[in-house]
Amino acid sequence: MSSGVSNSSGTRGASGGDIGGREACVIGSGMIDFGELFEQSTDDMAERAYLNAIEDVDSGISPQEIDAAWFGTLDIAGDASSGAGLAHATGLFEIPVTRVENACATGSTAFRSAVEAIEAGSAEVALVLGVEKMRDSAAGLIESAALDQVWRGRGVTMPAFFGMRATRHMHEFDTTEEQVAKVSVKNHANGAKYPHAHYRFECSVEDVVESPTVTYPLNLYDCCPVTDGAAALLVASEELASEYTDDPIHVAGSGLSTDSLLRSEDESLVGFPATTQAASQAYEQASIGPEHVDVAEVHDCFTITELVTYEDLGFCAKGEGGALIDEGVVELDGEKPVNPSGGLLAKGHPIGASGVAQLAEIYEQLRGEAGSVQVDDPEIGLQHNIGIGRNATGSVSCVNVLERR
Amino acid sequence: MYEPPFWRDREANERLAATECDACGYVSFPERREVCKRCGERGEFRDTRLEERGIVQSYVIQNRLPDAFETPLPVAVMDVPQVGANDGGSDGDDAGSDAGEPARVYGLFTETDPEAMAIGMEAAAVFRELFDVEGLPVGSFKFTVPRGENR
Ligand SMILES: [Zn+2]
Repeated sequence: MSSGVSNSSGTRGASGGDIGGREACVIGSGMIDFGELFEQSTDDMAERAYLNAIEDVDSGISPQEIDAAWFGTLDIAGDASSGAGLAHATGLFEIPVTRVENACATGSTAFRSAVEAIEAGSAEVALVLGVEKMRDSAAGLIESAALDQVWRGRGVTMPAFFGMRATRHMHEFDTTEEQVAKVSVKNHANGAKYPHAHYRFECSVEDVVESPTVTYPLNLYDCCPVTDGAAALLVASEELASEYTDDPIHVAGSGLSTDSLLRSEDESLVGFPATTQAASQAYEQASIGPEHVDVAEVHDCFTITELVTYEDLGFCAKGEGGALIDEGVVELDGEKPVNPSGGLLAKGHPIGASGVAQLAEIYEQLRGEAGSVQVDDPEIGLQHNIGIGRNATGSVSCVNVLERR
Repeated sequence: MYEPPFWRDREANERLAATECDACGYVSFPERREVCKRCGERGEFRDTRLEERGIVQSYVIQNRLPDAFETPLPVAVMDVPQVGANDGGSDGDDAGSDAGEPARVYGLFTETDPEAMAIGMEAAAVFRELFDVEGLPVGSFKFTVPRGENR
């Protein structure tokens, strides 16, 4: 995150999380093509993402130069994960490896932890590796409907948790089913162009509203697919970063927060206060406001999630998410493109990998390497996750801001 | 004999026993704790009881659930008023200080036409067996709109 240097405002780095003025930079990223990867194990996917990240470093890097690693996974496949899981997949033994689990913010929290270690001076070059094998288990997440809970989320599946916001948002702000559907249309249009995406087809508003109802008011095309995947990032101190690349991307700010629907605050019926809290921490560290964000990869596990996230991140006022998408602001060629990669809706949502992949995409965008989904010369990119915690009563959000200087 | 979680929560589950934070008025249900999960204060908590009714704050209709549930199943966020309060804080308005706030909970519906669901409507809470643990029933409340009595 940012130090006390640069920028005319003089407020840069005013808040916490900034130890000794050291800054962290991303110096390489790697992804695998997301999809139904029955032929690959968790370790196979993790190893490939790691090797892709190593190969992505402009001036090369040797594994011996990585002195710490963070491993983001929910371990849905039950591969007995721990720090040792990363070491076995990558061969990076004999260094500190920390496994991170933080609901859907797992990958982004792993990244944030690596950044903090670099800022603190306890690591120089760190690997962040996110992986999830979602498809090996036939049961799926529907089975995790909190069957043995009395009041704490019994029967509240993920589409129900997010669908509650859709029903209330439509009631309170006259948001329409068509506006919500447009998120899916946009993200599938982007995903069709994005080589790593799981689903590479386009769809129409009619396709979304006429697809089978999963949990009213959400239909099948309002929901992200079940996808295997892995992604990796290499993060280095600013001083070392220039040895690896001429175009390092700075980590300008990071925020992490939790909240709960059961705190009885009405904002949490139409959005996620945890997102607003995490974003405000990240904006403050980066000395920016939402208006400075040029491109964003946000958590669109469901269409409604992305729509309320526009509001929670301050891209528009509360209740105006529907208007924002109607106006085309968040389209690939709009003023503030959101999810150029196709988002979780098209690219897929391998939970531990999702946040890391979003950061890899922002890294590509800021370096001008995003190919067919490249947006126009972005300088500041934002990455966001919102996850369900504690049997659907809690929420956890992580927001990271990257900057090309 | 109940397994520990159900034994611990039995009074809340079966009798709608709750506690109210004297610092901010937050109603904690079903948990009884020393710190308030809204204001964070380690305050005094007053025992209170919830009424057998609630106001729908938002809802979904679940079409796909494990076999333990009948679908389509309305599931809602409910505001459940304290006994003696004027109303359940419909639409989130802060109730007067005498009334006290409602508790906000998830509510499973039963014997309710999904078409009857609407934000702001009142539903009765009815005691039901939710599930059993090795043959022993765990009972608590579900919500219902009695037939022919929309809203
Ligand atoms: Zn309180």
